[in-house]
Amino acid sequence: MRSLVPALAVAAILVAPTTAAAPPTKTPGELLVGLAMPSAGFQVGSVRGREVVLAKGFEVDLARELATRLELRRVRFVNEPLFSTLLAAGRKDWDLALAQISVTPARAKRIDFSAPYLSADQGVLIRLDLKRPASLAALRSLQLCAERASTGGQLILDRIKPTRKPRLLENPSKLSYELFTKRCDAIVFDAPALAVLSRQAPDRYGPLVGRIVTNERYAIALEKGSALRPRLNAALRALAADGTLERLRKRWLGADTAKLPVLR
Amino acid sequence: MRVAFLQGEQVGYVERSGTSVEAALRALLAGPTTAERKRELTTQVPAGTPLRSVRLDGGIATIDLGEKFAAGTSVESLSARVAQVVLTATRFPNVRSVRLLVKGGTPLGLFPGVVTRYPITAKAVAAPTVPPPTTPAPPPTGSESDQIRALQQRLDDLGFLTRDAVDGKAGPRTTSAVVAFQKWAGLTRDGAAGPTTLAALANAARPTPINRGAGHRIEVLLDRQLTLVIDGDRVTRILDVSSGKPGFETLVGSWKIVRKEERSWSVPYKVWLPWATYIIAGYAFHEYPDVPPYPASHGCVRVPGWDAEWLYRQIPFGTLVMVIGRSR
Repeated sequence: MRSLVPALAVAAILVAPTTAAAPPTKTPGELLVGLAMPSAGFQVGSVRGREVVLAKGFEVDLARELATRLELRRVRFVNEPLFSTLLAAGRKDWDLALAQISVTPARAKRIDFSAPYLSADQGVLIRLDLKRPASLAALRSLQLCAERASTGGQLILDRIKPTRKPRLLENPSKLSYELFTKRCDAIVFDAPALAVLSRQAPDRYGPLVGRIVTNERYAIALEKGSALRPRLNAALRALAADGTLERLRKRWLGADTAKLPVLR
Repeated sequence: MRVAFLQGEQVGYVERSGTSVEAALRALLAGPTTAERKRELTTQVPAGTPLRSVRLDGGIATIDLGEKFAAGTSVESLSARVAQVVLTATRFPNVRSVRLLVKGGTPLGLFPGVVTRYPITAKAVAAPTVPPPTTPAPPPTGSESDQIRALQQRLDDLGFLTRDAVDGKAGPRTTSAVVAFQKWAGLTRDGAAGPTTLAALANAARPTPINRGAGHRIEVLLDRQLTLVIDGDRVTRILDVSSGKPGFETLVGSWKIVRKEERSWSVPYKVWLPWATYIIAGYAFHEYPDVPPYPASHGCVRVPGWDAEWLYRQIPFGTLVMVIGRSR
């Protein structure tokens, strides 16, 4: 009987090589996921050095669902204190990384990307007691604010061309505070992050009124030439098809920013 | 030893028997007693949060709490519970700061607005983390119309609006005055001057005080979400306000003003309370950007920006403030 076992295993590989073989991860049976915490709604937790002892958020749950789909029993997370480390060329000790990484041609030279899992246009969140602007033109006369050196700040100058000088603030938390105290009429920032913000403290801001299309997409980063990619993309497709991706998005990120009206 | 619970927008300390940091933390995690809850003492530490370990080393208390401590998504609740832990531990003279761990690790992003990478001092918890707000610009107004001017004039006659706001232009200030009238008259609080509201306005008389009394005083009507400014028998102004939400009800009773701050900082909730007049403990009248037509605060009485400073000047020290649960 013993001699039969290897023969059967070989037969299985020959018949259905992509489904029967274990996914090519660094440690067989385990998915090691790189993160760059914190990011509200997407990934927060606690760490001992690089080791993540507690993780929660949209991208954390997405990684867990992917592992289940890939029939990997164990998921571990490691934190990269520097976002740029995730994007650097070369060998990685993790199997894949999630950190709201937008796909760009420059980045694609150093790392491989999965299919996108979230569209991240720029969103416009307004203060309380402000008439809802329906177009880019209606934003022109408002006090607009964005994070310094961000896509949002550039968009304000290039597309909205406001009559009042926009205020560029150091970080997202300052941005939200200025909106709360009404020193900004509207802020322009990554739409999914704005959805999280407005859900965390709903009585502090007006509505998320719309998005400005930039076609940015978040995707999972893999080491260049990773053999895991085809299986990962298949798993992502399955999670999108059975509604899992949408359920997680709704749970952690709130309103579907891809359905926001487009401001023109 | 004393344990830091919450009362209104501020921390309320209660006495407990015991002498160690660990005992104080266990008392904090257990929450206020039933009797204390009746006095509106609350906690934002989730029930059943486990204390994994406490270690004291060179003035730093390393406090490791279970995952449950980071449960929930409300920014205010998350920052308040960190303040409670730090303020409880640092009351011990041998604890200068608290290194907070969750499930054995350093929290990253679990408590928005609180820096948890380094040991946290009581001073850091109590200090404002954001600059005080400047008074916002007057709200935008629509084009002038006689119809709106007539509505505003009527609201002014009844005490719901002030003379300077009668400008014929629609805006948040007029809407808020309409809401205040609707609250008084028991109508739907939608801020729209529709046929029902206009008819009620035409037949209305100026509101009268709920309780008899003499001199200058204030009545807060929790059921109607209104504040009456009273001189003798006459109600001089009726203000649209929002008081404590369920679980944070504003304390019913008669109080005398003992504390006033033009810019007050809420330690647990990390938010500025401009034009704060404290009724008792952590309960105050204060300006807030959002005054919904229902109870929404942590126990304070929120006042819209355009009325906040005026009200602050109307409540000198010693003013009698009556918080009334049922006004009809």
